[in-house]
Amino acid sequence: MGYDMTGFPFLTILIFLPLATGLCLLPVWNCRPDLWRPVALAGAIAELGVACLCWPAAAAPAKGAPAGFFLFEDYPWIAEFGIRYTLGMDGLSLLLVILTAFVTLIAMLASWRPVIDRVPLHYLLILAMESGIMGVFLSLDLFLFYLFWELMLIPMFFLIGIWGHGRRIYSAIKFFLFTLAGSLLMLLAIITLYLIHGSQTGVYTFSLYGLIGTVVPHSTALWLYGAFLLAFAIKFPLFPLHTWLPDAHTDAPTAGSVILAGLLLKTGAYGLVRFGYPLFPAAAATLSPLLMVMAVTGILYASWIAFAQSDMKRLVAYSSVGHMGFVALGIAAWTPVALSGAILQMVNHGITTSAMFAMIGMLDERTGTREIDAYGNVWGKAPRLSFFFLFFAMASAGLPGLNNFVGEFLILTGSFKVSHLAVALAGIGVILPLVYTVRLIQELLFQEERRPLIIPDLTVTECGMVVVMACLDLYIGLHPGPLLDMLHSPVAILTGGAG
Amino acid sequence: MLSLHSYLILSAILFSIGAIGVLIRRNAIVIFMCVELMLNSVNLTFIAFSKYLGNMDGQIFVFFVMTVAAAEAAVGLALMIAFYKNRESIDVEDLNLMKW
Amino acid sequence: MDMLQFPANIAAAAGVNFAAIMPEVILSVIAMALLLVNVFINSEQKAYLGYLSLIGIVVTFFSVVSGWGAPQSGFNNSVLQDNFSLFFKGTFLVSAFLTILITDQYLKREECNWGEIYPLILFATVGMMLMASGTDLMTIFLGLEVLSVSLYVLAGFNRANLKSNEAGLKYFLLGAFSTGFLLYGMALIYGSTGTTRVAAIASYISQNGMVLSNPMLVAGMLLMAVGFSFKIAAAPFHMWTPDVYEGAPTPMTAFMSVGPKAAGFAAFLRVFIVALPAMKADWSELLWVLAVLTMTVGNITALKQTNIKRMLAYSSIAHAGYVLVGFTAGNAVGTAGVLFYMLSYAFMNIGAFAIIVLVGRKGEENNNVSDYAGFGFKHPVLGMCMSIFLFSLAGIPPAAGFIGKFYLFSGAIQAGYVWLAIIGVLNSAASVYYYLRVMVFMYMKDPTEEFDWLAVSPSLALCLLLSVAGVLIPGIVPGTLLDLAQKAILM
Repeated sequence: MGYDMTGFPFLTILIFLPLATGLCLLPVWNCRPDLWRPVALAGAIAELGVACLCWPAAAAPAKGAPAGFFLFEDYPWIAEFGIRYTLGMDGLSLLLVILTAFVTLIAMLASWRPVIDRVPLHYLLILAMESGIMGVFLSLDLFLFYLFWELMLIPMFFLIGIWGHGRRIYSAIKFFLFTLAGSLLMLLAIITLYLIHGSQTGVYTFSLYGLIGTVVPHSTALWLYGAFLLAFAIKFPLFPLHTWLPDAHTDAPTAGSVILAGLLLKTGAYGLVRFGYPLFPAAAATLSPLLMVMAVTGILYASWIAFAQSDMKRLVAYSSVGHMGFVALGIAAWTPVALSGAILQMVNHGITTSAMFAMIGMLDERTGTREIDAYGNVWGKAPRLSFFFLFFAMASAGLPGLNNFVGEFLILTGSFKVSHLAVALAGIGVILPLVYTVRLIQELLFQEERRPLIIPDLTVTECGMVVVMACLDLYIGLHPGPLLDMLHSPVAILTGGAG
Repeated sequence: MLSLHSYLILSAILFSIGAIGVLIRRNAIVIFMCVELMLNSVNLTFIAFSKYLGNMDGQIFVFFVMTVAAAEAAVGLALMIAFYKNRESIDVEDLNLMKW
Repeated sequence: MDMLQFPANIAAAAGVNFAAIMPEVILSVIAMALLLVNVFINSEQKAYLGYLSLIGIVVTFFSVVSGWGAPQSGFNNSVLQDNFSLFFKGTFLVSAFLTILITDQYLKREECNWGEIYPLILFATVGMMLMASGTDLMTIFLGLEVLSVSLYVLAGFNRANLKSNEAGLKYFLLGAFSTGFLLYGMALIYGSTGTTRVAAIASYISQNGMVLSNPMLVAGMLLMAVGFSFKIAAAPFHMWTPDVYEGAPTPMTAFMSVGPKAAGFAAFLRVFIVALPAMKADWSELLWVLAVLTMTVGNITALKQTNIKRMLAYSSIAHAGYVLVGFTAGNAVGTAGVLFYMLSYAFMNIGAFAIIVLVGRKGEENNNVSDYAGFGFKHPVLGMCMSIFLFSLAGIPPAAGFIGKFYLFSGAIQAGYVWLAIIGVLNSAASVYYYLRVMVFMYMKDPTEEFDWLAVSPSLALCLLLSVAGVLIPGIVPGTLLDLAQKAILM
């Protein structure tokens, strides 16, 4: 490590840089339209830069931080309640933070051309959401976490509602209410845990590492963990709580879909890993069969439903439910290998699915339709676009050599000794995506033309964007070592506690 | 000699008559009179208790209630007049511009 | 006997002690002076009365601030100006201040620019302050009546408007009716304990335990609960609220939904927590039911309202329900939550009403939610203010409404009312729907109007500014206010 990073508030900057950039757009709302996009883009690029700068810091642990954390900030905030502004970054957070910065950038590029009205607000909302998501991935205080958790919802609500298609308002409200209902119960669980801890020790704190190890009667712990699980499972989304997702995805604008699939779903999984399991290890172990059942059902059900979709976005939305089912399976198994696989799969899914949504957005923008039936022979018209579409679809279906395969493989290997049955069933879930993906590819790219659609090929910027994502897919698929190294220590610490 | 109970029962009956009157009568003036009946039954209760307990607080309270009732009457009648001017009625059935 | 209840550090317990009612005295004198001034000025100058009353409120506020931490009792222990009442007085003054800021523009537009409105608002505020510091049932009753009589007039203030007439008359009839119940309850409590002093009632009960089985005391408590429930618009005694709120002039609706409700809670808390702690098991059960009913009825009915004033009326019923949750808990956290919540509610609700005042025009109040179509983009700043208020009402962080609910529900959980807290948050989730609907119209529907009649007067702008600050600052750095609220509880 060539430079000293202690004392420099990287994490605070990570959280507030996007929001600050977004607010910079307000003064130029009514003038200088030439500035809107560059300013927003500059903010997103700078954010990615800061996120990448954190990578080298992983070499040395932070002073005064819990084990595994290499960046740490801690200030008093609402002393009356024992609420602190505590941020921390370990390998797990780091990967997700970089993913967030990257996917936000993609979302911004994906909405470069399609969004033409109220542009500053659009970018402000994307950036505000980035801030919220960063906050979720970095908070180590439950109150602070909850705050960011709720803050993520508001920009997404507006993104879907203002720039969405179809039944956008219905979908926006459904999204908001579903996630809010779950998270409010989690809030009650947080308060209860806080009070239990306070009455036992006399120390009232919301700090995660203060609350870990609180002795909670098992029956109470089941209720509390249940509330956490509900909130996270809705975000995940796990079967049968997934019904908001297809609607939200289908009706969201491209940027919304990209962020929703790439990032918001990850917050649910992250919450379970960071908060759910460590806070209530026994209850989590008791309920992990339930989580496993939800995961496996979700994998199979989603693949089945995806097969019947005629709207491309809906199809990819259901495939997301399936992929996140794998993540849930890996978490439910809670072995080091499975958990590393699950986290890696979160990153993979973030990249691949964002790419899929971005590609669909490009097609939609060119032709105005997302019906699979309308297309045909796209390969003949736009070979570059088709190539990348094929590439990402295959990555998403888990083709060996590409990123998703690694994640799924690790999850299945890691879960095998925990539950043979679940792995066997999930194994079927590895095959099924191939079926619907091949169908999608075949109908879209190679079938005879059904409607005379004019599809220009990728532009240079679009090309650049997808090439970067494809390279990442390939890189992680062939050489996941650095990422797994980064995950090694946090996963060991997390699973070590749970036995 | 009448016992405390007689006064209390009388005032409870008066209070109930007033309360029921408010609920079933339709003329705003009559409703208002029923409210006055309720207030006066309360006054009776206060005085009965005051006498029984040998404590002046109740009687003082009654003076306040009477004063306040007078002020309320002034405002209430003014409101009724304003309503009457616009609607030419003081029937509460006609208080129907908004869902009641 | 009375001396027993007050710690020795409370100044001059008996006799005349003007320090104990200084804020009330200042405000009454100013209000009476304004009433006189009003006679001598012409209708163009009425706005000056508004400015003068704002000055009066600020002066009174200083007197409130200077009394902090130094409890004063007086008039034979019938008033006690402690931190509890001072915190509430601050809330009342804030609500009166914000209301007066939005009144002028409305009055001019509706052509009912009569100066009496300002003194009436001040008198109502005096009534509220007396309710908060009353430690004798008599004082509480007097404060309540000073408040109510002023409010009847304020509700029916636009005397040429039939809706306003109707609102005034309905409010008057039901208000007087509920006063009857409250008074009867007070009479029965007096009869069973022999005193009207709040603290003396408690000591009588603690010395004579058998009085607890006296049906007269129980009936008295129930009747008082009914009376107070009317005043704070708790279900099932809320029927008057939507009509009165809809018909009253909009600034007065804003005022009524905040100040008097807070005053009702102040007296309710004082009487039940200080005078009847021995019956806590009974009344907290009763309040449990009231809280659940109030939240649920308010929210469910609000879901299907199309008139925004009516919607906010039901929402204010629901908010009374949340506050009742904290009251039911009856512990330090819950009570401090009530204080904190009422103050934040003043900012967010009056702020929302300020926008409603703005969107309306003469003869056409534009009170339907659909009248807000496209408003958010036609007037981005106003739209953003409205969104902040609505998110705060919905309890979404980082607004004060969130911290307030967090506080109230923490109190309930701490007191063991977990189910009450769960019902509370589920209600809160349901309520988000109708607040979001306004935002859906503001941002997601195409405008049908140009909103070109909108003119933001400086005072209204100030009101919005203060309200936004009052919602966001306690939302992000609630420390100071939480601290004050914790120092102001009755225990």
